[in-house]
Amino acid sequence: MSKDVFTFLVGGKAGEGVRKAGSVAASVFAHIGRRVFHMDDYMSLIKGGHNFSVISTAKRRITSHYVKADLVVALDKRSYDMHLEHLAEGGVLVFDSDAVKEGMGLGVSLLAEAKKYPNPSLRLGVGSVAILAAAVGMDKEQLKHVIEDGYPRDIENNVAYAMTIYEMVQPKIGGKFKLDAGDNERPILTGNEAIALGAAAGGLDVYYAYPMTPSSAILHYLAAHDKELGVVAVHPENEIAVINMAIGSVVAGARSMVGSSGGGFALMEEAFSLAGMVEAPLLCYLGSRPGPSTGVPTYTSQGDLNFAIHQGHGEFPRIVASPGSMEEAFYLTAEMLDLVWRFQTPGILLTEKHLGESRMTVEIDAGKASWPEPVMHDKEEYKRYLDTENGVSPMLFPPSEELIKWDSYEHDELGITSEDPDTIAGMQEKRRRKAKAIVEHLKGMKTVNVYGDKGPVILTYGSTTMSVLEALKAGGIDATVVQPIYLEPLPVWELDRCRDREVIVVEQSCSGQFATLLREKAQIQPKAVIKKYDGRPFDPVELAEKLEGVL
Amino acid sequence: MDDLATYAENTWCPGCGNFGLLGAFKKAVRALGEKGVSREKIIISAGIGCHGKIFDYLKLSGLYSIHGRSMATVQGMKIANPELKPVTFVGDGDAFGEGIAHMIFAAKRNADVTVIMHDNAVYGLTTGQFTPVSEKGFKGPSTPKGSVEEPLNPLALMLESGATFVARGYPVKLNHLVNLMVKAVEHEGFSFVDVLQPCVSFNNTYQKYNNLVEIMDRLPEGYEEAMGVAKRRDKFPIGIIYQEKKPVFHQELYGDWNPVTKRMSREERIEKVKGLLAP
Repeated sequence: MSKDVFTFLVGGKAGEGVRKAGSVAASVFAHIGRRVFHMDDYMSLIKGGHNFSVISTAKRRITSHYVKADLVVALDKRSYDMHLEHLAEGGVLVFDSDAVKEGMGLGVSLLAEAKKYPNPSLRLGVGSVAILAAAVGMDKEQLKHVIEDGYPRDIENNVAYAMTIYEMVQPKIGGKFKLDAGDNERPILTGNEAIALGAAAGGLDVYYAYPMTPSSAILHYLAAHDKELGVVAVHPENEIAVINMAIGSVVAGARSMVGSSGGGFALMEEAFSLAGMVEAPLLCYLGSRPGPSTGVPTYTSQGDLNFAIHQGHGEFPRIVASPGSMEEAFYLTAEMLDLVWRFQTPGILLTEKHLGESRMTVEIDAGKASWPEPVMHDKEEYKRYLDTENGVSPMLFPPSEELIKWDSYEHDELGITSEDPDTIAGMQEKRRRKAKAIVEHLKGMKTVNVYGDKGPVILTYGSTTMSVLEALKAGGIDATVVQPIYLEPLPVWELDRCRDREVIVVEQSCSGQFATLLREKAQIQPKAVIKKYDGRPFDPVELAEKLEGVL
Repeated sequence: MDDLATYAENTWCPGCGNFGLLGAFKKAVRALGEKGVSREKIIISAGIGCHGKIFDYLKLSGLYSIHGRSMATVQGMKIANPELKPVTFVGDGDAFGEGIAHMIFAAKRNADVTVIMHDNAVYGLTTGQFTPVSEKGFKGPSTPKGSVEEPLNPLALMLESGATFVARGYPVKLNHLVNLMVKAVEHEGFSFVDVLQPCVSFNNTYQKYNNLVEIMDRLPEGYEEAMGVAKRRDKFPIGIIYQEKKPVFHQELYGDWNPVTKRMSREERIEKVKGLLAP
């Protein structure tokens, strides 16, 4: 593992403040100008079980957590047993001496000390922050500020507890992992927060969603900031209401977006086709977790690629794109809003739990976000489905003296239902021309990210891009990483460059959906496909070894 | 010339109860115009079924939705721009089969929309199957030996769900129905109008309704009496059964905001986002 990286892991039961401790630790690193990647591994429960938070930090851009940590804090026995093997060479393991009687590493009476205060189990996370502070060489005054900022409730008791733990561990591990300061303090965002903010910057008016992991956080974020951002967030009775309300809002002129995951998104499929037929600009967020069905709700997967690309019955154009980082998630959300309004057809922003819920230091210039400017009606008589060269009809919203009819049945230009064969064929062709217009437009845009120019080509997409980039650093591997941002239509014109080179595909699906897509659409024959489908994101070191094995 | 008609060919069966409903709604739109509700603001939707064809026959803007979903569609219209007056036409199978959750929740949250139900107690366009409101024993192609289910009572269900305007009309009593439609659109909150609609092909109820429909002489006093009227089985009382003033959903959600007409400028939005992006 590259020693420019320091990794902190804290594990415990849900309800012991593990995720919160992870967030505070990430802020400590970001505050001194370092880059951070923070991954939460948590179970689908509220109290108990086993959760852990891993934060890797470096002075350079870091795009993954590392599974092996330099400092591991185990708040209970299960964490101790599980994370013993996650200790990096030269690392330190600190555990609760009451939970683990004879352990390897440093035992501290975390719970016994916490019991001197109200809500002891909630306080354990604070103890882990104190241990981190000692290990990275912070003094007590600095720790006090960290606790005050991170735990504004019950400050006095939290600070007192933190100081006790600090004093217990400081003589043994104090300053063992001194960290250099970085260049600039950057904000830390989850992918979901980046998408919520990107949507706002991109002109979103209304967001509809029904809670489902890992997409709920966008609903929560926009609901919490609705007045400030001027975005309305609505939580209706089910996903079917979600998407049909959103389409109703589009008809009234609002830039609307919906979000869900697996089964919830499947419920939206009927109205996804409706959006295709009525030519409604609608942005849909699909956050993937391992399926089929309920699957593994709080873990990650790229098993929904085919589901996204083939969403909906009947034939109509759709745009599917997947961001390869938190920053890209921000800009791409705004860009997708612009595209769906430009072409009046549904689009899917495809991500994974790993992108949506992991946190990362980001550099985002909000002013660079796109803003939709649809073609608006300016002639005399309005026809909702005016047949045009590129298939895109001008828009108009009520109230208006003109008649504006959107129709789920096949329809004529005015939007009146029709079963006439010429009208049916004409409208099918109109929508088909729109699909072609989308391809032509995308050809003028950045649709593929390319990192590096040497060695074999590694083709990947979505959050796996971040894993691959970090793996190349961890393993010191030279390769060219090609990441299609757009998956439908697939930018085959950009992928030509890969055809006569040695190609490795990396993805998080069991059947290799991405590799199949590349074979079918871009005639790319990969030499190897590295897949992971256990719900966990790749560890950079593990992935580097796999890459070396096939290169 | 009928200024509310389109060129769409009317394909309802001769004698269909929908003709009366269509005529009543046109009259209501004109009456609303005289009262200052411009027809540009009346935005319509419909589900799929015989009832839905009314969308094509009305020269009013909106979205011809899918089966069971138009109640969700019109709520989205209202949320986007509360200056609009959304009205959706629904069928009884459409609304209380496929779309029952949307009906209950639209009433529960007092969404400021009007729902006009073409209640013929049969799926006409799919050739006569029983619906959620058909009487037990109803014989159709899916229940040749008679339906074995008890019917739902839409009026009682909407009352119980929190609807703030509940009425029943009958197209044969045309001007009475026109008045109900006007009052429903004017009502601030969720309005539900159950229109008894004979289906001449699969459930001809003209005789039954002509005998049993009775215009109510007064508004029932409160919820309990309204529920009693809704549950009557000997007669079909028509008129406003219940009306109540309660805060409406979009105002509870965002006060006097309007997502479309009050949209922030790009510059303002970017500044807000920058504020939230500061470390």
